[in-house]
Amino acid sequence: MSARAALHARWSLDEGAHEHVVFVAEGIRCAGCARSIERAVRTLPEVDAVHVNSVTARVSVDWRGGGGTDLGGILAAVEGAGFKPVPLAGEAAESEYQREHRASLKRFGLAALGMMQAMMYLGALYGASDIDASMTRLMGLAGMIIVTPVLFYSGMPFLKGAWRDITGRRLGMDVPVAAALLIAWAPSVVNTFRGTGEIYFDSVAMFIFFLTAGRFIEMSVRHRSLSTGEALGRSLPASVSRLMAGGATEKIDVRELAPGDRFLVPKGAVVAVDARIDAAGDVRERVALLDEALLTGESAAVTRREGELIRGGSVNLGAPLEFVAVKALGQSTLASIVALLERAQVARPGIARTADRVASWFAFSILVLAVVVAGLWMVVDPSRAFVAVLAVLVVTCPCALSLATPAALAAATLRLARLGVLVTRADAVERLARVDTVVFDKTGTLTATHTEIAQVRVFGAEHRERLLAIAAALERASDHPIAAAFTAHAEGATVAHSVREEAGLGLEGEVAGHVWRLGTRGFVAALARSQNVAPLVPADVDDSAVFLGDAAGLAAAFEIRAPLRGDAREAVAELRRQGLRIVIASGDSHAAVAYVAKALGVPHSQARGRLTPNDKLALVAELQASGRRVFMVGDGINDGPVLASADVSCAPGEGSAVAQSAADLLLLHEGLRALPRAVATSRTTLRVIRQNLGWSFAYNLAAVPLAALGFVSPWAAALGMSLSSLGVVLNARRIALGGHAS
Amino acid sequence: MSIAYLLVLLGLGVFGLAVWALFWAVDDGQYSDLEREGTRILDEE
Repeated sequence: MSARAALHARWSLDEGAHEHVVFVAEGIRCAGCARSIERAVRTLPEVDAVHVNSVTARVSVDWRGGGGTDLGGILAAVEGAGFKPVPLAGEAAESEYQREHRASLKRFGLAALGMMQAMMYLGALYGASDIDASMTRLMGLAGMIIVTPVLFYSGMPFLKGAWRDITGRRLGMDVPVAAALLIAWAPSVVNTFRGTGEIYFDSVAMFIFFLTAGRFIEMSVRHRSLSTGEALGRSLPASVSRLMAGGATEKIDVRELAPGDRFLVPKGAVVAVDARIDAAGDVRERVALLDEALLTGESAAVTRREGELIRGGSVNLGAPLEFVAVKALGQSTLASIVALLERAQVARPGIARTADRVASWFAFSILVLAVVVAGLWMVVDPSRAFVAVLAVLVVTCPCALSLATPAALAAATLRLARLGVLVTRADAVERLARVDTVVFDKTGTLTATHTEIAQVRVFGAEHRERLLAIAAALERASDHPIAAAFTAHAEGATVAHSVREEAGLGLEGEVAGHVWRLGTRGFVAALARSQNVAPLVPADVDDSAVFLGDAAGLAAAFEIRAPLRGDAREAVAELRRQGLRIVIASGDSHAAVAYVAKALGVPHSQARGRLTPNDKLALVAELQASGRRVFMVGDGINDGPVLASADVSCAPGEGSAVAQSAADLLLLHEGLRALPRAVATSRTTLRVIRQNLGWSFAYNLAAVPLAALGFVSPWAAALGMSLSSLGVVLNARRIALGGHAS
Repeated sequence: MSIAYLLVLLGLGVFGLAVWALFWAVDDGQYSDLEREGTRILDEE
């Protein structure tokens, strides 16, 4: 096989006078991307047609073979436009998603058209007395011609589902639904040919219309979350422009981008990895206008300032910007989130499982009821038995019941995404609504990532500022995280020489000809001891402080602290107002934990410091043993097991933290304020689910006796069933609108 | 009244036409991407 033939085989090219190929172009995110590919390919000679679908990322090209254009040229053009062409695997040629979407749309569309047209004919028969028998018969026939395909095409999933249940000796809601459809349809057909008796084709059509509408909504919600994951994975560009030292750029594979690399993101392109705006570069813009829709579902533009973390997957809406990569692709938020979402889609929420169990029991009751009603009417008045049984079956259709939970959970997931909280496990919303204790892992969640000097204790005669300047001079060369805290106190005149670093202990260096040490108490005190001087050792300073000293002993102690995040106080206060107990469980020093607890107004007894991951696990287990439901908020890097053991857990959606955490929820914006809002939303959701279940049960309880007594005609039953379903869906919409949460 | 017979048949024909048009549009992928086609008119070429 020649290289050309091999290429053509791999891309399953249709060869001939007219050649045709379909492939996936990775990186398509919007209509604009689709347009740029179409432009690039259309400029090639002999290309007849090129079509790009921005949703499925399929590129289809038709061209005349034998000329100057070949497959390689087309692929190169697509690559040149900045996208990565990928051959379709046989099975993926028509994705499952697309097949289901199309089939569902056709079923729904047919049912809608059929219902309208059947009403048109059969509505004329209601209350009409002056229509002759042949016209009535014609209307019936027309209704039958329309509704029969509606039943066997649009209603097929329900008939098949019922058949599966019956042959599998199970009971699901499809059984009474299919029974209602068939026992309304079959006698109508018989009556149409006989020319007498009731016909219910319009009720059948209406019933199927609402059933397929419910299925269609459910499918759209499911595809939305599925396509989020798929879109996330596909949205990354294959290559990026890395900036070279001289200002030139080079195209490299996105996987080669390393933390610290500077890269250029043109307008409309995706920021490939977690990054920050490059402050050092030749940039006029210090503010990025971004679309984070992929991460949050919210398509409004967001501004991110210099220094803020920009997540991979955001789209640059503003001017071209230079970024500095913070993480490599595999560790970036997007890659981690894709993995988490895939996991979330596997699990079924507990409350939905309960609904399934209820539904099975419910279906059984309906069938028993239908048989009892039929038996009683046979005795009382056989002519009305049929209508009563049909009304019972239609009126009890648990469409409302089966929509109650999924509609509410879908709306809640949407609402939470808008608040910047991504739900990675389906039942997290339900569990979040029931928590009564919030456990914070202090590091990185309540406090900022940078550190500052909170307090300086001076022991000798030197001035505070002088000591700070010496410490800053010593730390200048260090890349230890603590060094950043001293930077603000540096003085140009104070310079340290011959600085050496003792790993884990501290720094030693000469400032103005004098030897200083900065670091742990023991390390600094050792300098004085080596000169046979008894070092001054204050007893009341926490060991977590950084000490500065010379041959004469300790001179100062600096307490280094990460300041509270701006919104921590507000978020904690709000959570407490919601009746939650706040617990801080941290691996940090007691002093640091006490400081944070005090600043947040958390009682001393609820703030624990120096906890190992095992201690935290024990603490959560202890709280759970005492009957509390624990909401754990942690940065997740070491706390995977703790997050997993809590009733529900939340992690900031930052890179490696996400990858290693077992969190149910991810905070996408760095705001803690989303936490109380998420709790409020989940509580609203649970309330709405209960209202919906209550409402559907109440409706059925009220309607069933009426139907059983023969007061409800089949069309009224279909209408009532539809209205109750609509009520449930509209009630769920309230969550997405979010009146309570904002 | 005989016009009514014609209208009923005509209605069936229109229904069939509407269903055929819907199925054709769905299979043709006209509902698979509502975004790109909406902006095509804005293309320069």
